Amino acid sequence: MHRIRKVSSKIMSEREAVETFVVDGIRLRSGGIGLRKPFALINETIRQRRKNITFILSGFTEDGDVMVGAGVASQLEGSYFGLEALGLAHNYRRAYEQGIPLKIKIEEYSNYGMTARFMAAAMGVPFMPVKSHLGSDLVRYHAFREKKAHLMEDPFSGEKVMLLPACPVDVAFVHAQRCDEDGNVQIWGPIGDDEWGARAAQQVVVEVEEIVDSEIVRRDPNRTILPSFMVSAIVIAPYGSHPYQCQGYYDLDLEYRKMYAEVTRTREGFERYLEDWVYGPGSHQGYLEKLGKDRLDRLRAKPYMSDPVNYGY
Amino acid sequence: MATKFSLAELMAVASSRQIQDGEIAFIGTGLPMLGAMLAKALHAPNAILIYEAGIVDARPKRTPVSIGDGCLVPGAAMCCGLTEALGTILQRGWVDVGFLGAAQINKYGDINTSVIGDYYHPKVRLPGSGGGNDIGSLAKRTVIMMAQDKRKFVEQVDYITTPGWLGPPGTREAAGLPRGGPAKVITNLGIYAFDENREIYLESHHPGISIEKIKQNVSWEIAISPDVRETEPPTDEELHLLREQFDPQGIFLGGRE
Repeated sequence: MHRIRKVSSKIMSEREAVETFVVDGIRLRSGGIGLRKPFALINETIRQRRKNITFILSGFTEDGDVMVGAGVASQLEGSYFGLEALGLAHNYRRAYEQGIPLKIKIEEYSNYGMTARFMAAAMGVPFMPVKSHLGSDLVRYHAFREKKAHLMEDPFSGEKVMLLPACPVDVAFVHAQRCDEDGNVQIWGPIGDDEWGARAAQQVVVEVEEIVDSEIVRRDPNRTILPSFMVSAIVIAPYGSHPYQCQGYYDLDLEYRKMYAEVTRTREGFERYLEDWVYGPGSHQGYLEKLGKDRLDRLRAKPYMSDPVNYGY
Repeated sequence: MATKFSLAELMAVASSRQIQDGEIAFIGTGLPMLGAMLAKALHAPNAILIYEAGIVDARPKRTPVSIGDGCLVPGAAMCCGLTEALGTILQRGWVDVGFLGAAQINKYGDINTSVIGDYYHPKVRLPGSGGGNDIGSLAKRTVIMMAQDKRKFVEQVDYITTPGWLGPPGTREAAGLPRGGPAKVITNLGIYAFDENREIYLESHHPGISIEKIKQNVSWEIAISPDVRETEPPTDEELHLLREQFDPQGIFLGGRE
């Protein structure tokens, strides 16, 4: 794949972004831990019926579950696959235990293992030594990576360390609060593994709540997690992280998450869900219209403003 | 003092009492989220709460639904990422106490949150490690929270997701783990600790739960402390805070096994 450098072409619809960057069989990274999940892009990837995706993240929740249930992801690489306080993820279980809709493979590490692997890839080094994983079965069983980890003694001190291989990523999705037209991306609130995970990727497709004037970004450069040259495409997707939060923009939609946890208990329920909430709406705009303005307004974040700082010298 | 309480409420309160004032605590999903809020509000106002997605020294006003919940951000001292929280804080050795959940546990406190049955063809595929393996490997001590029955307290776990003591004294160290190990296990039946052989024993049984019942829910002959006692029940104040302020919707307290 070739990096697209033409600045003027970066802003595109979610349909165009997925058509251009997400091809069958790639290693695709989801985003967001606990919030800022890139659902506008995930739902579009499902609508375009991509296949054989290796879906990557540390903490998967509905993002991994829906991609598995829709038959898009056939391999997962990550550390957690559940719905947090809402219980077990049903599509993921059906796929792994019964091969419905298809048998999936899971290469699992811990959360720190995954983010250390992203960090290695982002830094261009082949592995990262960590002090977890030691003594556990995480390194005893593997799924599709030929070599998952390597135990060694530190050549300097003799101490045992576990080496984890860098995690290569073809395309990373990120949901961010804002960027400018060039693709300088700003995030605030918890970063999860987006900073290192996105920098690990060959291509970053970012969905944002809004595009702001470059001056706004450049007046607060500490908030930038990705400089424009690392970003290939920008999709404007307000509420794109729904039903998850986006700090400063909207709260989580707990009712929706409960609904998802409930309807996905059966395959039929999940298929209905896909029809109602992914295929049916046709686009992110259609999804927002189905949710309705009142519901979205109720989720809008309350103001909690920080004070400006002086960047002068 | 006569207020009735559920076992989930008792577990949340018990988890809160594991956090001492001034300690740095790593908080995971579930009842410890409530326990941490309770500790901070009552006996441990100077505890520093760290949430894995990258929120440091949070002062939550609402109970978070996840370890990256945006409600943890207003009032927090620092926002960073998973790498910084797990790498520069946990792995570096700053964390005094970390909380873990488990589907299976053995007598050395090794826990399984990955599969029930054969790894490649399991009966139940569970969520996996998340940050569990990291917390169990790298916090100075850990507190394990789980539902208890004979299939969960087992001689051999189906998969060691997170190392406990791994075996008699020296085993954990020999694996290369730099510190830590399980200190307590809190279940819906009782509270357990580990002896000098790194083996689990019953420290207290919850009100209304007999030692006989506890024995029936462990698949080996569980050791009982000679000083075994009844778990101290929640106070009215603790129950009030839990019900009225921290989990009025019953997200954690309502649906617990």
